[in-house]
Amino acid sequence: MAGGALTAVALWLLSGLASPLPQRVRFALILAFAAAAVLRDLGLLRLPLPQNSWQIPQHVLQRGILSGPLRFGFELGTGVRTYVSATAPYLLAIALLAGGPGILPAVLAGAGFGLGRAATPFVRLSSPDPTTWDDLLRRRSRWLAAAATTAAAVAVTIALLT
Amino acid sequence: MTAQPAAHRLQGWSTDPLAPVAVLAAMAVAVAIAGVDPLTWAVVGGLAGYSLSGSV
Repeated sequence: MAGGALTAVALWLLSGLASPLPQRVRFALILAFAAAAVLRDLGLLRLPLPQNSWQIPQHVLQRGILSGPLRFGFELGTGVRTYVSATAPYLLAIALLAGGPGILPAVLAGAGFGLGRAATPFVRLSSPDPTTWDDLLRRRSRWLAAAATTAAAVAVTIALLT
Repeated sequence: MTAQPAAHRLQGWSTDPLAPVAVLAAMAVAVAIAGVDPLTWAVVGGLAGYSLSGSV
């Protein structure tokens, strides 16, 4: 949560750079990217996006019984220290940058991102068979990303237009 | 049908990798329609975070 909140606050600070643009233009940018994000995760649009093409090093986890996992979770929560395999995080970043929702919504979005990241191991360990769960996730990962991005795009669209 | 297999099936459904997406998607649309902007951002954040499942 702390990592996500940190990234979100950084995006919120940078959102000031977009503030000279009229709100209509900024919202149009977000809506256009939301549509592109859905098409990208459905495999209908090729849109290269920046990402760190490596995993968080294993030695981070081994720094201590408590500090290792905490640091690993923090780095994972920032969303910028490892692969970004879906487009929903980019949509969130663009919405924060161009939408300029304010500091509280930005922090909540970042904390939500961190919780969403943390939900994966929680759900996996709660499942009857984590190994089968891994197989299911592998088979459904594309649909999972597409569904999450579509839902995020719909929610952002509703929030901007109402 | 005994209670134990039914409970096991329920646990299987509730811990399906797609289950959190379904729950978060419903919440995101509901809070967006209700106009609760801070919550909408939080839930959209949750969707974005969970969409990276399997990526570490």
